[in-house]
Amino acid sequence: MLWKLLPVGLSYVLLQVTLRFKDDGDLAKRLQDRDPRAMTDLYERYGRLAYSLIYRVVRNTGAAEDLVQETFLRVWNRVQSFDRAKGALGPWVLTVARNRAIDYLRSVDGKMSAGALELDRLETPPLFSNFEDTALSLDRARVLKTAFEKLTPTQKQVIELAYFEGLSQTEMAERMKQPLGTVKTWVRSALKALRDDIAGEATA
Amino acid sequence: MSACTDFHDDFELYALGLLEPAEKAEIDDHLRTGCATCEAALKDALAVNAIMMSLAPDVVPPARLKRRVLASVGVHPMSWSWLAAMAAACMLVVALWLSVQERSRASELAQARRTLIEVGSQRDRLMQALSFLDDPATVPVSFGKGQPIPPHGNVFVHSKLGVLLIAANLPPAQAGKIYEMWVIPKGGAPRPAGLFQSQGGTALHILSGPLDVGNLGAVAVTMEPEAGSSTPTMPLVIVAPVAGP
Repeated sequence: MLWKLLPVGLSYVLLQVTLRFKDDGDLAKRLQDRDPRAMTDLYERYGRLAYSLIYRVVRNTGAAEDLVQETFLRVWNRVQSFDRAKGALGPWVLTVARNRAIDYLRSVDGKMSAGALELDRLETPPLFSNFEDTALSLDRARVLKTAFEKLTPTQKQVIELAYFEGLSQTEMAERMKQPLGTVKTWVRSALKALRDDIAGEATA
Repeated sequence: MSACTDFHDDFELYALGLLEPAEKAEIDDHLRTGCATCEAALKDALAVNAIMMSLAPDVVPPARLKRRVLASVGVHPMSWSWLAAMAAACMLVVALWLSVQERSRASELAQARRTLIEVGSQRDRLMQALSFLDDPATVPVSFGKGQPIPPHGNVFVHSKLGVLLIAANLPPAQAGKIYEMWVIPKGGAPRPAGLFQSQGGTALHILSGPLDVGNLGAVAVTMEPEAGSSTPTMPLVIVAPVAGP
């Protein structure tokens, strides 16, 4: 089962990595100023995370390396429009990384054209600003991990298919040979369960 | 038209680009109205998505990937191996320099020690020579006077102190040769009385110890192999006959 792969490595990720650093604004400014050391810092902060995510999607080390390079090049080229006062670099880098990997998968499957522009639109830097202070906290990540582990196997599977294989609900239904309505129910219920646990943690 | 909050369940999929075109268009239209509630909900969905993406199984990228990524934006950092090599080279240079300095200092120190010993030795010999000259019992004997290429000088003999030789105009010692002094008893065979070198043709040599001055016939000097000889090699470089006290 795909979902069984997800918990592997969580301990490293959750204990070592946060998606928003206090000095993200300073790092973004240095990237915008083309400080060579800034790119080293950005890679050291998010390179392993981006590689792990991309590898999870494409399952090929050579392609993963190409896509990580493409991810960081894209961030470098687009960082001028990043809001360094209110932005969070981690979600942006991860979104770019995932989109590059999904785009690669779709191109391998011969269905690249339609989604490529849409993915491009969904990773514009201004989208990744004005997060709530606690939105990206490690506590929240732990809650989300626990919430994910509590999902049913089919819920976990649809979440995996959405995040790591880039399948729409229609494509999931075809892949799983289930009615679209059923798949939509699984997806919605899974996402709601994740959201509810996070909301519960926020009000606890 | 859907209620605003109906969209909130779809924001994660919307942000992942996984909604069907009609669903996506409806949300796009609504977001363009500037709905603050939906903006906030979308941010929450983006945060959830980012965290979910960060939960991918951890895989360590190869070290070359960092260099490759940095090179793609024109940054060429020195690798740790290069830095380590440079650090090692620097340390080696420093170590060599310190070693040379240490050896140089040690050499200078040894030279100073040798000079000190030599000066001390010369001082002792001069003091010893003075004790010959100060003592009325010393018998002075001149040699070399009137000879064409004369080593010349004086021999001082003393029954308790021994023999003091002060010579000048000595011919340069040949390679592998050294001067040797002899005391020659009256009617007896020459006895070795020590080896010495000349400096610029002059020499001061002392044979310490009691001496039977009354039975002493002559003091002589020859040039011998560096190890010295048990019998003098002719010709005599210096011969100073001693008349007795």
